[in-house]
Amino acid sequence: MTIATAPQTAATVLQYRDVQKLYGDFVALQGVSMEVKKQQVVCLIGPSGSGKSTLLRCTNALETIDGGEILFDGVRLPKDRTAIRKVRQRMGMVFQNFELFPHKTAIENVIMGPSTVLGLSDEASRDRAEALLKKVGLADKAKNYPANLSGGQQQRVAIARALAMEPEVMLFDEPTSALDPETIGEVLNVMKALADDGMTMIVVTHEMTFARRVADHVVVFERGEIIEQGPPKQIFEAPTTARTRDFLGHLGWDG
Amino acid sequence: MDFNFGPVIESWRFLADGVRITVLLSLSVAACSLTFGTLVALARRYGPKWLQAILIFYIDSMRAIPVLVVLVWFYFAFPIATGINLPPFLSALVALSFNLTAYVAEIVRAGMESVRPGQVRAGLALGMSTPQIVRKIVLPQAFVRMMPALGNVLTLTVKDTAIAAVIAVPELMRRADAIAGQTYTPVEVFSTVMLLYFCIIFPITRGVDIVYKRISFLGRS
Ligand SMILES: Nc1ncnc2c1ncn2[C@@H]1O[C@H](COP(=O)(O)OP(=O)(O)OP(=O)(O)O)[C@@H](O)[C@H]1O
Ligand SMILES: [Mg+2]
Repeated sequence: MTIATAPQTAATVLQYRDVQKLYGDFVALQGVSMEVKKQQVVCLIGPSGSGKSTLLRCTNALETIDGGEILFDGVRLPKDRTAIRKVRQRMGMVFQNFELFPHKTAIENVIMGPSTVLGLSDEASRDRAEALLKKVGLADKAKNYPANLSGGQQQRVAIARALAMEPEVMLFDEPTSALDPETIGEVLNVMKALADDGMTMIVVTHEMTFARRVADHVVVFERGEIIEQGPPKQIFEAPTTARTRDFLGHLGWDG
Repeated sequence: MDFNFGPVIESWRFLADGVRITVLLSLSVAACSLTFGTLVALARRYGPKWLQAILIFYIDSMRAIPVLVVLVWFYFAFPIATGINLPPFLSALVALSFNLTAYVAEIVRAGMESVRPGQVRAGLALGMSTPQIVRKIVLPQAFVRMMPALGNVLTLTVKDTAIAAVIAVPELMRRADAIAGQTYTPVEVFSTVMLLYFCIIFPITRGVDIVYKRISFLGRS
């Protein structure tokens, strides 16, 4: 087993500085600071409701933040709508419930981004989509509607759809939580392959084995705060806080 | 009691032309209501506040006023108030569409609201603009989901066109009334008319059912 590590000198893709997010007077994120370097895989773990999804949604400005700042490629996330769209085009997002478009076939789902957003020609976006479906192992399912795909297949199409924008970073929000156990592996394999290709990734996950093997950096959340972060070896083998140990213990993780 | 279907059979061309006008009026009203109903629903959701207020008032009033009153108003009052004279068919088209647009707008609104927020988020995450998301993601799914309700409106439309008889649109009901009056065979004529309306509407209901069963998965996210 090899643990891929990004070079320490790599450029910073995302930087979070003291990020705060409120829903009414409920504090969903509090003083979150971390960074994601080029080609790094960062896994976010922590109990339900601890703010992991919220942080992802703030990253591509699906939610606005109430304090601190998020820098993408050294530039603060913009407020202007058109500028926000430009930023989103450079990030891919994969959802827990896939969120494939049910009225579009697999390949049409993948074509959606390049053709409507990037304005690629029909032929160019189709070529790109075909290559991506092949990459996620679904070349033969191109004409299937989502209703005729298994959960694992739907999620792989969703990954291809996000990749079709040729993003600089991929955001995964519990990509395997809605899957049957037997299809989790196929999705994780696709993600592992992406990581090996050098994609920069933030992955919210409860798959500790995946985090242990693929992550370069693991961030532990609890109640909107980061309670510990570091290389997986540290988090899983020698956690420095009792709360991290408790959380991993609850999951039945014993190192 | 003796039945005399002679007059009905003799004037079948006259009645058939009435069916043609009923169908033509229904389809025109349905097309207008669907178009404007969708626009009203969109304006109500994304338009400026003042426009939303006007549209809510419009929708509420159309639900509170009988369609017959709207029709009579457009035919008898509208020309005097505005100096614009519309022929009967056009008056009926405008009045019925004006009324049904409000219902369609409510259906479209509910349809759009029923599309999961995650679908919009998926579009946003790709970098799509709100108009693109509405056009390519929300509306197509909403229309699939709305099909049964819209089919219902279409049958209502056909039925509502019968009241256009009061402003002398030569549709099925108007012509039936004329034949019944001239030949003193109301039982035969109006029974035939009932059957004809049933024959127009029944295939619509069944057809929508069958199509919806086959395509409902396109709207299921
Ligand atoms: N739109 C919202 N309005 C109000 N509260 C919200 C909203 N979205 C999230 N929250 C709250 O913010 C907190 C963090 O939610 P978040 O979805 O980020 O948690 P999570 O770590 O992703 O949990 P899970 O593992 O269950 O997905 C939760 O307590 C949640 O109830
Ligand atoms: Mg979550």
